[in-house]
Amino acid sequence: MEGKIIVVTSGKGGVGKTTATSSIGAALALEGNRVAIVDMDIGLRNLDVVMGLENRIVFNIVDVVLERCKIEQATIRDRRIDNLFLIPASQSDNKDVLTTAGVERVAKELRKQFDYVIMDSPAGIERGFENSIVSANEALVVCTPDVSAVRDADRVIGILYSRSLTPKLIVNRIEPARVRRGEMLSHEDVVEVLAIELAGLVPMDDKVLISSNTGTPLVLQNDSKAGQAFRRIARRLNGEENVPIEVPTDKTNMWSKISRSFGLK
Amino acid sequence: MLSGLLKRFTGQKKKSKDDAKKRLQFSLIYDKLEVNDTTLIDLQNDIVDVISKYFEIDREALELKVKRDDNVSALVFNTPILHVRRKQA
Repeated sequence: MEGKIIVVTSGKGGVGKTTATSSIGAALALEGNRVAIVDMDIGLRNLDVVMGLENRIVFNIVDVVLERCKIEQATIRDRRIDNLFLIPASQSDNKDVLTTAGVERVAKELRKQFDYVIMDSPAGIERGFENSIVSANEALVVCTPDVSAVRDADRVIGILYSRSLTPKLIVNRIEPARVRRGEMLSHEDVVEVLAIELAGLVPMDDKVLISSNTGTPLVLQNDSKAGQAFRRIARRLNGEENVPIEVPTDKTNMWSKISRSFGLK
Repeated sequence: MLSGLLKRFTGQKKKSKDDAKKRLQFSLIYDKLEVNDTTLIDLQNDIVDVISKYFEIDREALELKVKRDDNVSALVFNTPILHVRRKQA
């Protein structure tokens, strides 16, 4: 059976696209799938450092598309999670070296080898973005609850629809206390404005920066709220029913409050 | 301070997220109304064709534009009507 290609995109940069891609890819692999994550941000690669694989790069996606190497040669196995692989972007090339036809050819091959291929799209709506959506079967749009991210998400959603893709939305970096005070758009506000189906809600989490500092998967940290939210998103993508979308909350239960006050946490 | 307390109790605190939502809703509509000239000309020709079935109008004198107010956006179509066409039986 052929695998699925999922593109993760956002329009605006800096909303957590790379974190979402690596976390969802890792979580899908933890569910027992064979997963390839492809960094499509040619010239500005990041997934390799976030995943802690920067020392192992020999070939990259540009080499594969331009037939300078085989797919297997550019595929890096994750250090911690079985069945998780990264195909890094090139750091020296320009975005325009890839053609959509070339990307489509490679994507077709990747679908035969993997259950899921997650494409991390670059910010913007130019050539690099087009290349990452050309072969996609599904699309995830990441946005944060602020006016610029939501507006850019709307633009990207429009383009995805015009390519017959029906995207789903991940609202990232939700701060429940600020939502409660009316300082931040709630996920309901964002969904109402964008008129789109939700894939999941992810809270603001200090652990995201820490896990990228060390290049370790966020989803393996049981105490990371964002990591756990991405795991639930992956389970839903994987076809699991009865995984409800949890709304982030800052209400901690009594025990964790007590243990924190005793310095146990 | 007193007014701050009062607002707090009456729950009338102005929420910045309501501004954000309202502004977003309008800007997204405006973004989509940013139609290019060829689309507008095509639209104009189509509208003229339809109206010409019922009225005789001055093709040159008519104007079509997108008007944006604070609250609404409207397509404004202005044309002098020369004659009413008789309906053919």
